[in-house]
Amino acid sequence: MKKRIKKLNLSRRNFLTGTATLAGVAATASFVPITIAKANHSEGKKGLPDFISWKDRDALIVHSDKGIETHRSAIGESLITPNRNIYIRNNMPTMTDEQIGNRMDWKVSIEGVKNPKTFTLAQLQKLGHETMATILQCSGNGRGFFKHKPRGSQWKTGAAACVLWTGVPMKTVVEACGGINGDTVFMTSAGIDHQPTGLDPKKAMIERSVPKKVFKDAMLAWEMNGVPLPNAHGGPLRMVTPGYFGINNVKHLGKVAFTTKESSVKYMKSSYRISPIGKKGSQYPSCWEMPVKSWVTRPTDETGTVKAGKVQIVGVAMGGTKKVRSVKVSVDGGKSWKKAKFIGPNLGKYAWRQFVLETTLSAGTYNIASLASNGSDKQPELRMENRRGYAHNGWKDHSVNITVV
Amino acid sequence: ESFSDEAMMKKGLEIFNETAACAACHVLKAAGSEGNIGPNLDTVTMTVESVKEMVTYGLGVMPAFGEGEILTKEEIEIVSQYVVNVANK
Repeated sequence: MKKRIKKLNLSRRNFLTGTATLAGVAATASFVPITIAKANHSEGKKGLPDFISWKDRDALIVHSDKGIETHRSAIGESLITPNRNIYIRNNMPTMTDEQIGNRMDWKVSIEGVKNPKTFTLAQLQKLGHETMATILQCSGNGRGFFKHKPRGSQWKTGAAACVLWTGVPMKTVVEACGGINGDTVFMTSAGIDHQPTGLDPKKAMIERSVPKKVFKDAMLAWEMNGVPLPNAHGGPLRMVTPGYFGINNVKHLGKVAFTTKESSVKYMKSSYRISPIGKKGSQYPSCWEMPVKSWVTRPTDETGTVKAGKVQIVGVAMGGTKKVRSVKVSVDGGKSWKKAKFIGPNLGKYAWRQFVLETTLSAGTYNIASLASNGSDKQPELRMENRRGYAHNGWKDHSVNITVV
Repeated sequence: ESFSDEAMMKKGLEIFNETAACAACHVLKAAGSEGNIGPNLDTVTMTVESVKEMVTYGLGVMPAFGEGEILTKEEIEIVSQYVVNVANK
């Protein structure tokens, strides 16, 4: 049997570089690339794909080489998540240094403005300079709690990070282009990471429209937590849309356009839609604004048994597009709640706040939950059931069971 | 292994590399494929059921091979069995 497969393998290898076969296949599958991207992700020495071999393997859960989650206890207890611990969710392969070329020559075009312009990274860096903190969170963070097992990486809490970005405010860029055209409704950002794959842009381009107002707080970022934006996180230039799910923070940014209509690419039109189980379509809401959410990061079932006595229950809380106002903690599965204290610096409404509740626990088992509020919304008890397992902020699923001895 | 297993594996490889062109987008050592669009299938935790679901309905840039009638139900069953059998080997 082995022999036969090997033989077949050899002939099929031609497929990867070949011509005639490829055309035949293209007719069948209708999406096949013109040029096929070379693999750049053989397992790194630490069991991580090569393109992120600089990350901390111990901090990460590898769902695949394109979906890598941060352990619940490893998102950082000093507010900002270190780059080496930050999750990876790639729809397209990360661009290589070779594909990117000279970073300072990277180009982004601005359209739907009075004077459309193309800026190089060098020009953007002369235009303005700002630093801000936002939460980067995958739309599917929490998918692993859904009982109907939606397709995709089974993230629990770790497809999220709090990040310091440095770049130029989108507002400054807009001003430099004479202002936005009056009849536009959306800010539409497009990456160019599909280009090396040769795939059909309608199906592969990451182009995301968000309501126009988002530009006021948005940023074109070239630095992440104090270092040049790593390729794996969209370097050399990324759109940052504060308060909006990760997918809208377009990597390898090539164009920002103010448009009258939403982008018609698949990643806007049909992917990332929050639809009831069993239904789909562009009539359902897109993954845009993140809801209020929190979770405990210590102690957890990851950190082992807890010694009886005084315990510090710590975690993170986010308000979504509004400032997080309060967070309560329960050690009895939500029967009773105590107000936790916010600690650490407040880096603005788009960053998360750390919280702590000091309490005394005797031997036994406990279910620890947290419940955040942004003044107008608070976390629901249960998840909002939906087909693809998006936007989960229910507190019950995010609770942890611990054993105190 | 029985003849039918062998035949099925051969058919699975054919679907993977040719009929469905899974190879264009995925690494799968056993199939000799080096595509780098979707996940490396030697690194993913999967079951025949989860692969069948993914192949049928697609995800992101991955086409819905079942819904889009690119593959028959039988072909999806075979290629899913094949991938789960050979992955990480």
